[in-house]
Amino acid sequence: MPLSSPLETIPIKRTPFQNFWRIFTQNRMGLVGLVALIAIILVAVFASALAPYDPYSSAGINSSDIYQPPSPEHPFGTDDAGKDELSLFVYGARVSLVVGFFASFISLAIGGSIGISAGFFGGRTETVLMRFNDIMLVIPDLALMVVIIALTKPSLWNIILVIGLLGWTFTSRIVRSQTLAVKSKKYVLRARAIGAGNRHIIYNHILPLVLPLLLVNAVLVISAAILNESALSFLGLGDPTLISWGQMLNYAFARGAMSAGAWWALVVPGFGIVWVVLALTLLGQGLEQVFNPRTESHHLVETKREERPVPAVLPGPASSAPQPLLTVTNLSIEYTLSGGSRALAVDHVSFTLQKGEMLGLVGESGCGKTTLMLGLLRLLPAAGKVVSGEVDFDGHDLIALSEEELRDVRWKGIAIIFQGAMNALNPVRTVGDQLVEAIRQHDPGKPTAALEARVSELLDLVGISAERKGDYPHQYSGGMRQRAMIAMALACDPQIVIADEPTTALDVMIQAQILELLSSLREKLGLSIILVTHDLGVVAEMCDSVLVMYGGVMAEYAPVDRVYNAPQHPYTRELLKAFPDLADPGKKLSSIPGYPPRLDDLPAGCRFAPRCSVALERCSRDLPGITDLGEEHIVRCHLVEPQ
Amino acid sequence: MKRTRFFLKKLAWALFTIAFVVILNFFLFRVLPGDPARQGIRDPRMTKQSIEAVRQRFGLDKPVINCFSSLNPLKTGNCFINPFETQFFIYAANLFQGDFGISFHYNRPVVDILMTRLWNTVLLIGAGQILAIILGVSVGVVAAWKARTSLDYGALSLSLLAWSLPTFWLGMIFLFWGSNNGFPIGGKATPGMSSAPLSEQIVDILQHMVLPTLTYTIIFMGEYMLIMRSSLLDVLSEDFILTAKAKGLNTFQILKDHALKNAMLPLVTVIALNLGFTMAGAIQIETVFSWPGLGQAIYEGVVRRDFPILQGAFLMIAISVIVANLLAELGYSMLDPRVQSD
Repeated sequence: MPLSSPLETIPIKRTPFQNFWRIFTQNRMGLVGLVALIAIILVAVFASALAPYDPYSSAGINSSDIYQPPSPEHPFGTDDAGKDELSLFVYGARVSLVVGFFASFISLAIGGSIGISAGFFGGRTETVLMRFNDIMLVIPDLALMVVIIALTKPSLWNIILVIGLLGWTFTSRIVRSQTLAVKSKKYVLRARAIGAGNRHIIYNHILPLVLPLLLVNAVLVISAAILNESALSFLGLGDPTLISWGQMLNYAFARGAMSAGAWWALVVPGFGIVWVVLALTLLGQGLEQVFNPRTESHHLVETKREERPVPAVLPGPASSAPQPLLTVTNLSIEYTLSGGSRALAVDHVSFTLQKGEMLGLVGESGCGKTTLMLGLLRLLPAAGKVVSGEVDFDGHDLIALSEEELRDVRWKGIAIIFQGAMNALNPVRTVGDQLVEAIRQHDPGKPTAALEARVSELLDLVGISAERKGDYPHQYSGGMRQRAMIAMALACDPQIVIADEPTTALDVMIQAQILELLSSLREKLGLSIILVTHDLGVVAEMCDSVLVMYGGVMAEYAPVDRVYNAPQHPYTRELLKAFPDLADPGKKLSSIPGYPPRLDDLPAGCRFAPRCSVALERCSRDLPGITDLGEEHIVRCHLVEPQ
Repeated sequence: MKRTRFFLKKLAWALFTIAFVVILNFFLFRVLPGDPARQGIRDPRMTKQSIEAVRQRFGLDKPVINCFSSLNPLKTGNCFINPFETQFFIYAANLFQGDFGISFHYNRPVVDILMTRLWNTVLLIGAGQILAIILGVSVGVVAAWKARTSLDYGALSLSLLAWSLPTFWLGMIFLFWGSNNGFPIGGKATPGMSSAPLSEQIVDILQHMVLPTLTYTIIFMGEYMLIMRSSLLDVLSEDFILTAKAKGLNTFQILKDHALKNAMLPLVTVIALNLGFTMAGAIQIETVFSWPGLGQAIYEGVVRRDFPILQGAFLMIAISVIVANLLAELGYSMLDPRVQSD
């Protein structure tokens, strides 16, 4: 079934450089740094045209010119020999930049080769090279440079060579880890499998991916080289025949600028060094943003409801008989995307949860399941906002509660079993300690003995020996970590437990164990559970009701037997076709072509229309409303709408 | 058991590194053109007896390591030599007995001069490093917590600026300002203070410490702030922080109990790796403020062509960094339970 959608965006073709430039120019720091750097390079190149005097000649200078303050004749004043500071500054830029660029070229060549060789060849080569690297890292570099230059000759090339030969230690470490990361990429393995030689692989596959990193690193290496040059010159080890900023400061320091009160003799050359190094640092920050972007969003934000006009307000589901434990009505969650535009990641979702009920929340990855769950307890990242709807739990609207009130509901009222327990447990605290923390948070007065007993009881409940409570998460197996996570979720006797894909990344046997455990705990403790999963088989076996989500929209919400026996939404039908059925071993399995829509590219009409085999013309135009088919069966599809 | 093995492994590595530095030090000063032994013999400050003493001490009539290499400046000895009769062995044996040679300038054992200086350097670096860590970490935590606010951007800009300052230049600016505002103009104590009561002496030393320590703190604080900020931002976007938040912990508890310890780990690594740079800072600051430490000994060794002092100071600096690095790695292993099980 060919599937071409008019809604699919055609990416604009850009060369890598255009791409790089577009992102780079968005970052103001990097741009400022680049401009500042180009400016000082121009100064150095055109020094002879810019300098009002020739600083290498003492013609026409007499003793009354020494340490003269800034004047129209000498805008930056004069130095200890009566020379014009401005001219010295302009010529000094040459030496600093030449040393910086040449020395860092040597360092990058050495560091790059050592890093790539160590990372690529591995084994003994790597051990020897990295051990050598470790030794060079701890040897204080400036001290060694001083010793070598003091014992040889302080000439420009000597300084470049010494700084270059000692400045590679950080580069090689970074390049090595990048090479290791690149080496295991699929196409490199493939190139090797078809018999490509080492040379070919390094030049064609490894280098192109290591170079950007080397470029970011180069900026740091150049600035370190310039700082080292100035420090060496200041210590009297600069080339005595040349003018550099460090040399100017050496003369100012050694020849009485301080006692003469000649502040300009300190400020002018220092300004040059700070200018270049700061320009490089800013440039480095800008490059870093391009090659290694960080979102800088974290979990410490406090989300509140922000009312925003949302397209159309739809009716909520028909209220069912007994007062439910949790009622979610028209919950909408909006994400601010990196470009600044906004997208509804969860669009008017409503459902209820009774005491002891188990609800299955299904859908492919990226359909807003986790966002919806985090939204219930306002645990969304900074970019996410609840923009409409209510979450009624135990007589309170969780969306309207203050942060303090909400903290009491978290874990004690509703607890979450996060997916991937390796990352959800703090690696530097013991499992028992993290359990104690949860209990103590909601029952601060509990005596220590009772606390310890409770921890043992909880671990026992999930089948972990109480002796292991002093262990760290990395000492547990994957299945044990997930069970510890479940124990932690139960720590405060919550009424509702949200299990967010609790079995991802576990092997099949362990998956079954975990699900069985959840089932038995539900019976034993009378828990209400929301099980987030994409396994319809598990849902059929364990759940009472099912909420199918697609592209942030509730596609279908119904009791479990209705969904399996009379699915109404085409997406639900396709999902069911993709799962084997024990009762019908001859069933032909099929998968749905294509992927769920991306948040920055949501279709205008029904979110499923581009992949739907029975879509009508209006499906790609209008988002369907919610249709209540009775018997607690709710569908959002044009096909079931009454005409 | 694991702890002891981990400790012994690290200790063995540190000893190996020290051995490397000792060998490097020997070759630097014997092979490069400015050979200190020969320099010493030519030095006009030396008397005939002391030249003979230097000859004896360095074993200058003996081969460097063997007669095949060009490393034998005096081209003496034969090819079937006793390894105990080489210059390198004499050098190593002397070092082992704490004999670093005699200073050309002071005409006293290098080791005596450098030992007091070592403690002066430790005092200055210790004070500066502690202040830089406390301030850098605090500012970094606030900046990460308030990420992308004007407070964060302000702290970030100042840290980038501090990071870009040449150490010696900042020192010179402070010295220039301080000498006009009643601060002592350098050194560790006012001359003639040694007869004053101890409390006055301490106050006097503290006054001398203010500006160098301030310089040191500013130079290193910027970097620590940047690392703390970015590492805390990384930790705060980890899943276990979400778990902590879902458990009902408040912002302060999350920072204190879950984020800080984890975020400190990269900082400890950087502090350990930075010890070499720390000494670079010390050389510059001690030179500017005439602080009688190892860094200034390096500078004086260069200016006065006092090679035994230069050689001894370099060796002592390198060994201190290696030892401090060892301590930092052991500290790291206490903070992170994952390290020892590798």
